[in-house]
Amino acid sequence: MSNKLRLCEAASVKDGEPVAAFAEGMPALAVYNVDGEIFVTDNLCTHGNAMLTDGYQDGDIIECPFHGGSFDIKTGAAKAFPCQVAIVSYPVEIDDGWVCITKPEGAA
Amino acid sequence: MVTAQQTDNVKQDTPAAGCRVPYRVFTDRQYYEREQENIFKGECWSFVGLEAEVPQAGDFKSTFVGETPVILTRDSDGGVHVVVNRCAHRGALVCREMRGNRPSLECVYHQWAYDLKGNLIGVPFRRGLKGQGGMPGDFDMSQHNLRKLRAESVGGLVFASFSETVESCRDFLGPIVVEQIERIMCKPITILGDQRQRIFGNWKLYAENTRDPYHASLLHLFHNTFGLYRSTQTGKALMDANKRHSLLYSIAASNDDAADKQAYGDSRSFDTEFKLQDMSLLKGRQEFADNVTLVILTVYPNLVLQQIQNTLAVRQTVTYGPDEFELVWTHFGYEDDDAEMQAIRLKQANLIGPAGLISMEDGEAVEIVQNAIVGEARATSYIAMGGGQADDADHLVTEGAIIGFWDNYREMVGFDLEPT
Repeated sequence: MSNKLRLCEAASVKDGEPVAAFAEGMPALAVYNVDGEIFVTDNLCTHGNAMLTDGYQDGDIIECPFHGGSFDIKTGAAKAFPCQVAIVSYPVEIDDGWVCITKPEGAA
Repeated sequence: MVTAQQTDNVKQDTPAAGCRVPYRVFTDRQYYEREQENIFKGECWSFVGLEAEVPQAGDFKSTFVGETPVILTRDSDGGVHVVVNRCAHRGALVCREMRGNRPSLECVYHQWAYDLKGNLIGVPFRRGLKGQGGMPGDFDMSQHNLRKLRAESVGGLVFASFSETVESCRDFLGPIVVEQIERIMCKPITILGDQRQRIFGNWKLYAENTRDPYHASLLHLFHNTFGLYRSTQTGKALMDANKRHSLLYSIAASNDDAADKQAYGDSRSFDTEFKLQDMSLLKGRQEFADNVTLVILTVYPNLVLQQIQNTLAVRQTVTYGPDEFELVWTHFGYEDDDAEMQAIRLKQANLIGPAGLISMEDGEAVEIVQNAIVGEARATSYIAMGGGQADDADHLVTEGAIIGFWDNYREMVGFDLEPT
């Protein structure tokens, strides 16, 4: 059985307007379009209790709405105070126009 | 109607030696407000803490300059900083704890966050939520830092100033004060603890008290009775060039009981027959090569650095209004104190602080003045012991340094405000 998870249609994700996605057994996810390329990270900020898709995308940086901390969308690395812990990012595959990630080993 | 008798002690037609200070400077809120502006926020350096109180990166201490709450911090580069403890947003206290360690300072109200230098680094919902709300587009974080004071450390004592124009702290202190700070802060110290004392009197009465070697052998019976301090001892009362600060010191081994008996006669405060059942309180060590056993270094406007026997402490004045201030005593020893020395310092701490066998009388002296001058708009004190001038003295029966204080006060605040 495939561990591939379909999240949303790639065309629905516009640059600067990240989209919240949900998949069974996975934490809340965020899908981004950076200059035409699609990326996926966890959605819940590693610092405060806020969804990054409610935040502000500036190129390849996503700024959390809550405290203004930020992450590198492409790598998940924490970029600005008060975020210190990297956000999980997932390798993306576009399959038949859908944004897909592979369910990590051990995920419920 | 004012009678001749009532005006008697404000007559200015006989300019005899001596300094007269109108009692209203201790009670009238106008003077208090002028002091906050012209002294504590003016051309002065105020003591805010010891470097040893914030040794690690992220350490902070909440304190005050005059009545203004400030935070002393240590940043990750090892520098010390002093910022006003007031959020740049809507004015809340950023730091509500007295001490602690944090990577940044965060206001609890809206979680605006600042780094340890006071720079604004985080504003929640700055860009709103899902595009709604948020700060205006031209909002510039760098324009909303905590108010930063100048901060300088001299011998591990940290001073702060609101003034951009005041001379360097070392120059403000002058060579006598710097030398005395360095004498006591001669090696790494270790903090023993704080004592805090609310005194219901005007802070300047304490500024007078600590510039006054004359009272010490008369008011403080314990001091005198057990020979820790007597006016017959070798000592000096010196000031810096500007006569803002005062150094009083004495050498306890410089007198003898027989001669003192003659000098004091049957004075209330002198009785060599008194004994302590446990004399261990008075058994200290000679730890300074100069044999000086008492140093009261009073630094304008809000600090005393003291050595009484083997007690070492700073006393910081925090003002709460014309008739209330707090005295914060921070006791310390040296890092290389052995266990016995530490025990000596802790035992001798009973001499000082709010209930100290010596120091308790100073708080009381301040309050009995405040209680007696209430509502007095015209009368003045009379300060003339030692000649009535702001002069140094190579003895301890002088009030010269008090006059030095008032000369500076008159210049910075003035005596002649209109009564409110």
